[in-house]
Amino acid sequence: MEPLSLILLTTVAPLAAFTLAILLLMQQPRLAQIVVIGGGTLSLAGAALLLFQGPMAPLRYLWFTSGDMQLRFGFLFDGISLMFGVAVALITLCVMVYSLGYMGHDPSKTRYFAMLALFEWAMLSFVYAVDLLQSFIFWELVGLASFFLIGFWYEKPSATAAAKKAFLMTRVGDVGLFIGVLLVLQVAGHFDIPGLLAADTGLVAQAKPAVLTMITLLIFVGIVGKSAQFPLHTWLPDAMEGPTPVSALLHSATMVAAGVYLMARLHPLFMGSETTLGVILVIASITALLAATMAMVATDIKKVLAYSSISQLGFMLLGLAAGSLFAGVFHLITHALFKALLFLCSGLFIHHFESNDLAQIGRRGGRRMRFATAGLLVGGAALAGIPPLGGFFSKEEIFAALGQDGVTIYSIVALLAAFLTAYYTFRMIFLVTRPAHMEQPAPEDHAHGHGRAEPWSMALPVLLLTVGAAIAGFWGSAIASGLGIGAAHHSLASMAPAVLVVIAGVLLAWMDFGRQSAARVGFIARIPALEKLFNNGWYVDAFYDAVVVRTTMLIATILHAVENKLFDGSFDRLGFSVLGIGAGTTRLQNGWVQFYAGWTVILIGVAAAYIGMGG
Amino acid sequence: MMGDLPVLTTILLCPVAALVLVLLTPARAAHVVRWISAASALLASVLSIQLWRAYDTVQSGFQFVEIIPWVQEVGISYHLAVDGFSTILVMLNSIVFFTGVLTMWDLETRVKEFFAFMLLLVIGVYGVFLSQDLFFFFLFYEIAVVPMYPLILIWGSGNRDYAAMKLMLFLLAGSALLFPALLSIYHASGLGTFNMILLAQKSFDPDFQIFVYPFVFLGFGVLAGLFPFHGWSPTGHVAAPSAVSMLHAGVLMKLGAYGILAVGIRLLPMGAVYWAPTFATLAAIGVVYGAFIAMRQTDFKFVIGFSSVSHMGIVVLGLNLAVLGTAGQDALNGAVFQMFAHGVMTALFFSTVGFIYDRSHSKTIADFGGLGSQMPRAVSIFIIAGLCGAGVPGLASFWAELLVFMAALKTYPVMGVAIIVGLVLTAIYVLRVFSMAFFGPVNDKWDGLRAVDLQGWQLLPRALLVAVLLFFGFFPRVLLDVIDGTTTHMLLVF
Amino acid sequence: MNLESFLLLSLVLFSLGLFAVLAHRNLIAVLIGVELMMNAASLNLMAFNRFSVTDPVTGQVFVLIIIGLAAAEVAIFLSIILNLYRTRRTIDAEQLTELKG
Repeated sequence: MEPLSLILLTTVAPLAAFTLAILLLMQQPRLAQIVVIGGGTLSLAGAALLLFQGPMAPLRYLWFTSGDMQLRFGFLFDGISLMFGVAVALITLCVMVYSLGYMGHDPSKTRYFAMLALFEWAMLSFVYAVDLLQSFIFWELVGLASFFLIGFWYEKPSATAAAKKAFLMTRVGDVGLFIGVLLVLQVAGHFDIPGLLAADTGLVAQAKPAVLTMITLLIFVGIVGKSAQFPLHTWLPDAMEGPTPVSALLHSATMVAAGVYLMARLHPLFMGSETTLGVILVIASITALLAATMAMVATDIKKVLAYSSISQLGFMLLGLAAGSLFAGVFHLITHALFKALLFLCSGLFIHHFESNDLAQIGRRGGRRMRFATAGLLVGGAALAGIPPLGGFFSKEEIFAALGQDGVTIYSIVALLAAFLTAYYTFRMIFLVTRPAHMEQPAPEDHAHGHGRAEPWSMALPVLLLTVGAAIAGFWGSAIASGLGIGAAHHSLASMAPAVLVVIAGVLLAWMDFGRQSAARVGFIARIPALEKLFNNGWYVDAFYDAVVVRTTMLIATILHAVENKLFDGSFDRLGFSVLGIGAGTTRLQNGWVQFYAGWTVILIGVAAAYIGMGG
Repeated sequence: MMGDLPVLTTILLCPVAALVLVLLTPARAAHVVRWISAASALLASVLSIQLWRAYDTVQSGFQFVEIIPWVQEVGISYHLAVDGFSTILVMLNSIVFFTGVLTMWDLETRVKEFFAFMLLLVIGVYGVFLSQDLFFFFLFYEIAVVPMYPLILIWGSGNRDYAAMKLMLFLLAGSALLFPALLSIYHASGLGTFNMILLAQKSFDPDFQIFVYPFVFLGFGVLAGLFPFHGWSPTGHVAAPSAVSMLHAGVLMKLGAYGILAVGIRLLPMGAVYWAPTFATLAAIGVVYGAFIAMRQTDFKFVIGFSSVSHMGIVVLGLNLAVLGTAGQDALNGAVFQMFAHGVMTALFFSTVGFIYDRSHSKTIADFGGLGSQMPRAVSIFIIAGLCGAGVPGLASFWAELLVFMAALKTYPVMGVAIIVGLVLTAIYVLRVFSMAFFGPVNDKWDGLRAVDLQGWQLLPRALLVAVLLFFGFFPRVLLDVIDGTTTHMLLVF
Repeated sequence: MNLESFLLLSLVLFSLGLFAVLAHRNLIAVLIGVELMMNAASLNLMAFNRFSVTDPVTGQVFVLIIIGLAAAEVAIFLSIILNLYRTRRTIDAEQLTELKG
């Protein structure tokens, strides 16, 4: 088929589903579900066929002209976009199907499904965008859709606050991205991504090194916001206020993935600036480590997963910044699969037990849920990096990329973060599957209207993703060839440190949480100060509340006072003083004739005297 | 369809004829008054669309010229013509006029008088956009401004005496600056004509331009809500009835910006260049300042009022950057685009807030909570307007802001960065309204509103405005093609 | 007799009249003051007529008109005062402040 019709199928189908659902099907949730899932399926079919056809020449169309500037929109079909497009469409479809069960009883189902379709449309259009400004536009729309989905239960103040926070914090990053994109235009005169990346005529050849560094740093600011990197990471843990399937989508293939994807997309630009790469390495390794420490102490299953996302995104950026496009993209894709899986599993638990608490899920019999437990084990093992599951190979690539120039501080930090990852992942697994004692299932457990613990609509996507996460590790060479890079083969010896830290992490988790006699308290609890620090997320949020939010509101308050007292106030005073003068002169008009006559005489006298003296 | 029909006069005659008919209709027949107004608005809208389609974007420049000498001794003539800018602004006025009439469909008090004043206002606005004669330009300008006073005073709410008086005094002060300036332009030209196209060809003495330009700029700037002369505008918005707020923020404020463009920049280019850095700074301050003030407001309409100050700052900033050369084309395209986009957006804002107010009799943000579940349609529409205000792509304002910011970044990098940071502020105040009024726990007090959400006819004007915002959000080319040629033309002198 | 002495007399008369108008609260006294001022003006005119104008008729015409006007004025003034007295029971200028702003 024509690439144009395929790409239209891929991107327009969800948009059409969204439009139909929101405009016509508000009262028919059943039909809306069918339409949205149909749209998702078509989209997946389109993306898969595109991938099947392999890389093609981009399509470009004129969007508008302003003076010399011509803005185009179009679609880019290269390895990265084709592969990631399929991942997005696949995971979104899984989430949509899963939502049939998870959101089955929500009164605003239509709105929910419509927003999922909107999300998919925005993300796919972003993925295939050929023009940097087009990317930016859909990047923003991805943020908008996630705003609506995080705040889906808008009657819950915490959900609204989380949505607001997500929108604003990513917006802060977007300011940087926006300026960066505009700078690109100033330097290059166009936004065409293949043109910007071209080795001989692209931005790297054109721009002065300092300018290139500035541009890439600004774009990276956007990535920091979107991909929840330190210090703009705090919105992501809060974003779990949304429905769990939304978290699955948000943390895997959309939203946060957009940042990493953008860096992969513009990888040659970033490679052109050593300074930027250095900054990214620092930020990403801080993030990977920091988020892992927070995941160690979180008791909420979704929080653990959220912090692990932040940490893993740090890993991806580490890989990209170390120069390996393959490592970053590979980890992006494997992570998308196992993280979606983990969230969907956690959704099964949450849906059934109506609790997010790890210990409680374990006590009340989490391990009796077969699909969820299987998914949790496979996804968790992939996250921890246990061979031969997905995460192991992709993380291995990152270590290899970091280790190219010998042992650096970054590879040590990455190993430490990998150790913590294994530890907190298995902490989560053991808390759920090996509780100290288990309550017998209460008979009313099934009475609260959810029917089966694991309905097929929810189990099927979990099953599919379990298989996906399990085998994703073997796609390495396929992905590498898709990117046009030969896959490197690493010797067993070079894999040794990674394997060892993972084993150490798992063992420590076993000691703390797994074995029958374990205290089920993390080792970190022995250092209360650190535990407090981790629990409070290194006080980053506290800092924002105390400094940034307060300063902004203070400025607003001061300016508000300035407006009322000074600007608006002074015009009011001007007006009222005219009235005052009027009131004053009115008093002269006292009605006493002789008073008037006296003034007349005096004034005439003065005038006469003046004329007399002058003349 | 256009044929030999003097289309501009016909557009202008639509509200004039409606005004005459409305005045002849007995006050009891309120429905006839509404239908006459709606019909004239519809006809004007259709004609505006035709005008848009017939406007030759390749040739650009002034088209559809109609000129009839009126007082030849002093060179006044009835002279109508449109360029790319006025074509789209006429369209804007038609949209706001039509949706405004529909918004006020449920008005019950003194219907005849209301629509008569509203039509008068609309006549004035059309007149300004169409006139190429300085005398008529100013005459129509005053015709547009004056009906605001009775409209706010009689049909307004809250502190309306104060608001109406304040608005009137500010605008008349602006006119007081303008009138001598316009007369001095007429005099200094020595051509003995008020024909603006001829006056534009005359290059005035630079010192004269530098002296007169601030009068013109500030005179019109007051109406455009220029910081720090913006105080009348939020107060006026708050007190005015919905359709008046729509026209006021939607088109009346654009008259100011258009005046700066058509009289200030076109006739006094050197003055504009001389003053541009100063006034651009003022406008940029207004952009950020308005956003900050909007964050602290407790009344829906005040938030929108100050957001208008902020957004009109972008227009005025664009106009000033336009003459500075480095990125003039983008700046002017963006400014004119923003006039249109902001016009539609605020019309939508006020139309919807007006609806919520009519139903609930409250404009206080904190009074509500979880309104989204009680009035899902009205709230959705408000959210779309709010997102447009926050510059979310896919809605018309995004393009305008993009173009102006691009120019700002190129001309004054520091200022550019400052106003782009202002984008975050916009998001803050928009989201603050959303989360306080529309989201959060449902306030049972307003459960009665569930039954009276937007439906049928009431949905039409709002849906229309949303459609316009979305259309130009995705197809900016339709608008930019009309603007771009005129912009090139206009910037030739710089 | 020279011009100065006439002017001096007229000045005295005018000042007396002005004083009466400004200082007296009784409207009748005010009326008398006005009359005095008019007579002072007439005297002035006649004096200038006698000493500096060739055609004596000019001044006499003025003065005759003034006398005529004064008579009419007195009639109107008195009728106003009478009416005021009937309605207000007072002819005190300070209490008649109907036209106060």
